[in-house]
Amino acid sequence: MATNLIKIIWQTVLLWLVFRLGVFVVGALHLSLPGNVAGMLLMFALLASGLVKPACIEAASGFLLKHFAFFFIPISVGLMSFGSLMRQSGLALLAILLLSALAGAAVTGVSVQLLQRRRER
Amino acid sequence: MSQVLFIVFVLLTLGAYLATRWLFLTYRSPLLNPVFLSTVALIALLQATGLTLEDYRPAKDFMTFLLGPATVALALPLYHNRQVLTRHALPVLSGVVAGSLTTMAAALVVGRVLQLDRGVLLSLGPKSVTVPIAVEISRLNGGEASLTAAFVVATGMIGSIAGPALLTLCRVQSPVARGLALGTVSHGQGTAVALLESETAGAMGGVAMAIAAVFTALVAPYYLPLFLQ
Repeated sequence: MATNLIKIIWQTVLLWLVFRLGVFVVGALHLSLPGNVAGMLLMFALLASGLVKPACIEAASGFLLKHFAFFFIPISVGLMSFGSLMRQSGLALLAILLLSALAGAAVTGVSVQLLQRRRER
Repeated sequence: MSQVLFIVFVLLTLGAYLATRWLFLTYRSPLLNPVFLSTVALIALLQATGLTLEDYRPAKDFMTFLLGPATVALALPLYHNRQVLTRHALPVLSGVVAGSLTTMAAALVVGRVLQLDRGVLLSLGPKSVTVPIAVEISRLNGGEASLTAAFVVATGMIGSIAGPALLTLCRVQSPVARGLALGTVSHGQGTAVALLESETAGAMGGVAMAIAAVFTALVAPYYLPLFLQ
């Protein structure tokens, strides 16, 4: 239990360092890419090249991703300052979200299935 | 006083998360989304006590500190599923590109017809991408972080509730296609539903979610303005 906690902590430090590196790279190169995306891509490159073994980040990644949704709560509370927007256009927004999500899912699903069938022939 | 408030807010947020997570795991309904329920409860509490977002901010900054490392951790499931990526490169890339471009275009076009503000439209842009990345894309392109976060969570719920039925209606049976569709549009929540359908669908969903995030981050600065002219 205690050793597992220590493992999670130092692995989180490693993840944090790669995150900061991502933020730094994006800033230094003036990319219009979020720093966390750069960090994720860097970590993927480190794993793919074998410089970082999956076991080096497995404990912390498992823990953080299991509770990934927790971090969204404090961010979503900020919605409080958009009360008037929600009262005014709440239904319109819901319609937009519904329509666009279903359009995207249908296009991806149908196009991928067509592509697979054509390949099989 | 402010230290007490800080501790109380952190404990309340943690408590709300654990309670709603328990509810969700017990009843397994997408309607019992922990983020949605906890957010509603916390906003109601702040409103009822007359406290403001400024009072909550220190607790928020503390709790979201680990979101950066958590986002970097998304590389691990992508790495584990790298064979999926290489074996199905063509369907993955074309499916994610088609779905991401469609959902962004649909949201912005309908939003414009309904005369929403520019800031709201830009916040809608990255709504199909996982929260931490969507929030950053939104910020970089002139949107509002918390609006985007709410849109992302709502999109995740919509996709995980209506997505599987819609795909069946469109006669999409292939687990590869279903997983990709759910992951592209509804990120982690869609992937969780895909995983319930089959292991293949779940793996495709996870890969789609990661690729959709990277693709949307790359094209949003050039693609979104096309709909705002």
